[in-house]
Amino acid sequence: MQNIIFGLVSGSILALAAVGFSMIRQTEGFINIAHGQMLTVGAFLGFIFVNSLGLNVFVAGLVVMIAVGLLGVVLALIVFEPVSANGALAQLFTSIGLAYVMYGLIRVVFGAKVQFYPNLFGRRFDFTNFNVTVGELVIVGLAGASTVGLHLFLTRTRLGTWIRATASNPELARLRGIPVRRVSISVWFVASALAGLAGVMLGVIGNVNSELGWTQILMILAAAVLGGLGSIYGVLAAGLLLGLVMDLSAMIIPSTWRLVVAFVVLVLVLVFRPRGLFAKAERKEAA
Amino acid sequence: MTGVLLFFVGVLTLAGIYAILAMTLNLEAGWAGMWDLGLVGFVAVGAYTYTILTQTKFDDVIIHPQLPIWVGMLGAAAAAAAFASVIGLPTLRVRGEYFLITTLAFAEVVRQVAVNTQTITRGTIGFSELSRPLEGTFPGTGNRIVLLVIVWIGVVLVYLLLRRIAHSPYGRLLRGFRDNDPVARSLGKATNHHRLRTYILAGALYGLTAPMYLWYLRSVTPHLFAPDITFVTWTALVIGGIASKRGPIIGAVVLLVLTESVSLIQGSANLAVILASMRFVVLGLLLILIMRFRPNGLTDERSAFATVQSSDSL
Repeated sequence: MQNIIFGLVSGSILALAAVGFSMIRQTEGFINIAHGQMLTVGAFLGFIFVNSLGLNVFVAGLVVMIAVGLLGVVLALIVFEPVSANGALAQLFTSIGLAYVMYGLIRVVFGAKVQFYPNLFGRRFDFTNFNVTVGELVIVGLAGASTVGLHLFLTRTRLGTWIRATASNPELARLRGIPVRRVSISVWFVASALAGLAGVMLGVIGNVNSELGWTQILMILAAAVLGGLGSIYGVLAAGLLLGLVMDLSAMIIPSTWRLVVAFVVLVLVLVFRPRGLFAKAERKEAA
Repeated sequence: MTGVLLFFVGVLTLAGIYAILAMTLNLEAGWAGMWDLGLVGFVAVGAYTYTILTQTKFDDVIIHPQLPIWVGMLGAAAAAAAFASVIGLPTLRVRGEYFLITTLAFAEVVRQVAVNTQTITRGTIGFSELSRPLEGTFPGTGNRIVLLVIVWIGVVLVYLLLRRIAHSPYGRLLRGFRDNDPVARSLGKATNHHRLRTYILAGALYGLTAPMYLWYLRSVTPHLFAPDITFVTWTALVIGGIASKRGPIIGAVVLLVLTESVSLIQGSANLAVILASMRFVVLGLLLILIMRFRPNGLTDERSAFATVQSSDSL
C-alpha cells in the first residue's frame, strides 16, 4: 500500500514532465533532451523562492511555472527556431547541446551540492499499515488538477484545438490557416511550465541537485515511448503506470534497481508493441 | 613548459580514444543509419570485462583471474560483441527515435547493473590504480607518451579498417539500405542481417577501445559510464561531419582540444569548480553552433566519397 502511494506520487510527477515533452515532440517534431534540464531549473528556482525569499510554496510553484514557461519560449525562439529548417536530427542535437549548456550553467549558478526544501507539509496521516503526508496528497491532487486543466485547455479552447490539429498534421494545420507560430510558442510555454512544476514537486518530495535533469529525461523518454510518442493521454497514463511499476517493484527487489525495472518494461513493450502501449493503428505511409 | 606539454599529451591521448569511438559510431550511424545513443554501454561492458580479467590489486570480488593484458583486451571486445548480439535482437526491431531511446535505455541498464552488483564490480567504489601496458619498461612520464603512441596506432588501424569497409561492396550496401531499405531488400539483400552484423562489429570496436580509456584514467567506476561519453562522441562525429571518412578524427581532436583547454586556465579552487562546469557549456555551445551554421560538419559525405566515384570511373 505504501508503495502504491509512492508510485502514485512519482508517477504523477513523471506524467506531468512527460506530457510536456511529448507535446513538443508532436508539434515541433523532435526529441527535446533539454526538457530534463527545465525540471532542474524549476526545482532550483523553487528552492530559492521558498528557502531564501520565504515565499509560500504554492506561490513559488506558480512563479516557477511562469518563469520556466517563459524561459522555454525564449530558448525556443533563439535556439530552436533557427535550426528548424535543418531537420529533426539537427534539432535533436541542438537540444543535447542546449542540455549541456544549461547543465553547465546550473552548476555554475546553483553549485553542485544537493539541497533540500524545508519540510513544508509536516502533517502525516497514519493508517494501520501505511501513512501519507499532506505533501504527497497535494502533489497527487495538483498533478490531477493540472491534467484536467490541460485536458480542458486542449479540448475546450480554440488555442487547444489548434495545438491538437498541429500535432496531428502540421502541414494541414498550416493550410487551414492556423497560426502555427503562435501554436508553437504556446506549446513551448505550457510544456516548459509543466516541467518547472514537476521540478518543484520533485524538490519537495526528494531533493534538488544538478544531476536531476539527466536522470529525469531518461524516465521521461521511457514514459513517452511507453505511451506511444503520438498520444498525449497515452503518455499521461504511461507516466503514472511507470511510476507505479517502479515503486511496486521495490517490494520484490531492492529499490536501487528501479531504473532498470523501468527500462526492462520499456524494452519488453517495444518488442511486443513497437509503437507503444496506447498507440492507435496508423495508416502505413507509402515508402 | 613540460607541464603544458604533458597536458597536451593527455589531451591528444583522449582525443585519439574519442576518434576511435567516433569512427566506430560513424560506421554504425553515419553509414549504416543506426543512430545509437547507447554506445557507452558497450564501452562499459568492455571496460568492466577488461578490468575484471586483468586487475591484480583487489581480491574482494568473486572473479579475479589476473590474466595478461592482451587476453583482457580480447575479452573486452568479445564481451561487448556478445552484448551487442544479445541486445541487437530487441533494439534492431525498432527504428528511428525508438531505436535512439532503446539504446539509451540499455546503456543506462548496464550502468545500473554495474552499480548494483558489488560482488563483481565493486559497485560505486569501482577499481582504481589499474596498471598500464609497458609500465615497467617506460616508467613515469615516458609511459604517458607510450600510451599516446599506442592510442594513435589504434586510430590509424581503425581508420584503415573502416576505409576498407567504406570502399567495399559491404560499405556501399550499408549506405544503400540506410537511404532506402525497401530497394536494398528488393535486390535480395538481407538488410536486417547486415544491420546486426554491423552492430556487433561496432560493439566489438567500442569494447576494444575501453581498455585504452582505462589506461588513460587508471580507474573504473559506474559513474564514468553516464551518457556523457555517448554525447561527446556524437558531438565529435557531428563536428567532423557525419558519414565522412576523416571527419570523426578531425572532430574528436577539435572538440577535445577546445573543451580540455578550459582546464589550462589557472585559478583559485572556486574558479576551478566553475571552469569544470564551463567545459559542459563549451561542449553544448559547439554543438548548437555547428548544428546552426554547419549542419553537415567540417567535412561531409559527398566530398569524402567524391574521389571514390571518380577513381571508379577511371
